[in-house]
Amino acid sequence: MGFISDPDKEAIRNHFADSLTGDVEIVMFTEHESPIIIPGKQPCETCKPTQEILEEVSSLSDKLTLTVRELSAAKEQAFALGINRVPAFVFEGAARGRVRFFGIPSGYEFSALIADLVDVSNGSTDLSEATREYLSALTEDVNIKVFTTPN
Amino acid sequence: MAVESEHVTADVIEAMEFPDLSQRYGVRGVPKIVINETTEFVGALPEAQYLAHVREAVESNGKSSQ
Repeated sequence: MGFISDPDKEAIRNHFADSLTGDVEIVMFTEHESPIIIPGKQPCETCKPTQEILEEVSSLSDKLTLTVRELSAAKEQAFALGINRVPAFVFEGAARGRVRFFGIPSGYEFSALIADLVDVSNGSTDLSEATREYLSALTEDVNIKVFTTPN
Repeated sequence: MAVESEHVTADVIEAMEFPDLSQRYGVRGVPKIVINETTEFVGALPEAQYLAHVREAVESNGKSSQ
């Protein structure tokens, strides 16, 4: 039983077929379940379902690939991407800047995931001309954090 | 916005999963947006108002160099 229903899968597959132009690699950082219980360390309860959602989404277009890395084994890459917690994932595509997701992409975050994949694939957005002009002229770094909940 | 500028990093954070971050940024309602640690607002805004907050954050960064 998958996370995405069959009708939704079909709709997303069609949407991707119509909208994706460039390849996107989803790079996910996770923590696999350990058979050893470490006192004071919470297991990552959402890592496995996050990976399953991303596997389902990436299977809906041949332009999407998923790479899964164990955070403890890929610390340098994670550090370079500003990732220090799991589950987290980034997109490698045609975006000029960087989009990072922290936590399970369900509920509202799922729509953001689909929309962002399309934008990163195309390297463009439907923002207004004025906004795009302002952004392309930026010389300073800007970090935008968007806090959401699943529902 | 992160798609349009190499200077922009956008983080989508699941607030309930990371209570430490939610607490640090005082998240009581969602969506809550925090720009450059200095400017924040709650709720979905029209694009022009959203951009105004980004401008505000960028301008206040210039005043207090980090």
